[in-house]
Amino acid sequence: MRRLSEALERIGRAAILAWQIVKVLPRPRLYFTSALQHAYVMGIASLPLVLFMASLGGAVTSQQTGAQFTGGLPLWVVGSVLAASMLTELGPLLTAIVMMARIGAAIAAELASMKVTEQVDALYAMGRDPVAFLVAPRVVAGLLVFPPLVMLANLAGIGAGWGIGLLAIDGLTSNDVIYGMRFYFRPWALIFSLLKGTAFGAAITFIACFVGLEGKGGAEGVGRTTTSAVVITTLVLMILDLMFAPILKAF
Amino acid sequence: MIEFRNLHKAFGSLHVLRGVDLVVAEGETLALLGPSGTGKSVLIKHAIGLLEPDQGDVVVDGISIARATSAQLRRVRRRLGYVFQNAALFDSLTVAENLWLAQNDEGEERSLVGCRAEAVGLLRRVNLDESVLDKLPAELSGGMRKRVGVARAIASKPDYLLWDEPTTGLDPVNADNIDELILELGRQLGVTSIVVTHDLDTAFEVGDRIALLYEGRIRAVGTPREMLDNTDPIVMRFVRRNRVEAAKG
Repeated sequence: MRRLSEALERIGRAAILAWQIVKVLPRPRLYFTSALQHAYVMGIASLPLVLFMASLGGAVTSQQTGAQFTGGLPLWVVGSVLAASMLTELGPLLTAIVMMARIGAAIAAELASMKVTEQVDALYAMGRDPVAFLVAPRVVAGLLVFPPLVMLANLAGIGAGWGIGLLAIDGLTSNDVIYGMRFYFRPWALIFSLLKGTAFGAAITFIACFVGLEGKGGAEGVGRTTTSAVVITTLVLMILDLMFAPILKAF
Repeated sequence: MIEFRNLHKAFGSLHVLRGVDLVVAEGETLALLGPSGTGKSVLIKHAIGLLEPDQGDVVVDGISIARATSAQLRRVRRRLGYVFQNAALFDSLTVAENLWLAQNDEGEERSLVGCRAEAVGLLRRVNLDESVLDKLPAELSGGMRKRVGVARAIASKPDYLLWDEPTTGLDPVNADNIDELILELGRQLGVTSIVVTHDLDTAFEVGDRIALLYEGRIRAVGTPREMLDNTDPIVMRFVRRNRVEAAKG
């Protein structure tokens, strides 16, 4: 019962933080420059790993599709499955996993460290709003940086899947892949991919900020907070993924 | 004027403040003494709204901190400077940027370069020079960080200063320097200060009055002379060292 009550209190505090962010958003001069700096660091730092992970995802998808469908279905299906998988699932999700590990964990650790060393209190003491100074720039940066990263991840995954497919699947040609992708493609898949990526980006940065600001208890507490941020974000990402599935079907 | 009215605060089962009543008058420097863990820092954190009381209130210039709107609280905080025990400098920002944050109101910031001369002046007041301006806090010694923390607290030209162990960890020369700064700010600028300290020398040197926080309540409050003459055994035990020194003197 106590645990349930604590969990509900935590959800309440998260909702209050979300509302405080919404209230800050109409005043971009408080956070936008900082958000651009964070977006630059997030994007540049994460891009190589995002591209690498997406390439691996694309390469695995095309090979497994080829292995399972060869002889049963025409080979152009590889192109369709590759495009569908990357755009609707792997591109956003793999980007989110990289960003959660690289950026989410770093944000949670940084803010928790600031909390336990009274730096957050110092902001309050100076009459500054920690939400405008610390949280809004990071969340906005996540919103700015995720869509382009997801698009690049989609391209890298499709490119790698295409190339590896040609090498690994007997009889597959580029014409098959192109035909399959064109057969599948609809603009909604691209919009869906961007929406999903944006939601993932907001979730990762928001959860990292919230959990980080709840940090307490010295170095060990910072470690616990970081672990907690990664675990909660993983769960939330999978739940969001589940919630997005019916939206794809609806259009 | 800062008024603590029947202030109670507990953390879980630990009842730290058990009804603190204390008034700090305009322009006064009050030294707050007490054993470790009695809630001296907890008490002054209520004055700036960093902690919410379980019961009671803190009133700063007629504004109830417990009932203040966020805008009122921000305004009050701009008039209060807080010297943190461990400086609490932003470790990803340089000294100049740390000071710049305190020198400017949120959303109305001047350029960093424009604030530099003023920042040098603030550093000189705490016995530091401009060579530290572009350093990160991690590149400074503990004592230097502490002094930058003091410079940051006075950067907004506050009417009130809350000093949480301002001389702990400082060498005697710099501890004296901080004591002089507290006195100077009080005498020249009329700044009202609450100085939380373990250091009896600091308390007796800077305090117009001294208060002893004991077991969650104010046990005694008075001028340094009144505290030395106090016959309460708890107060006597606490100020004994100074009593002996006074007798020797």
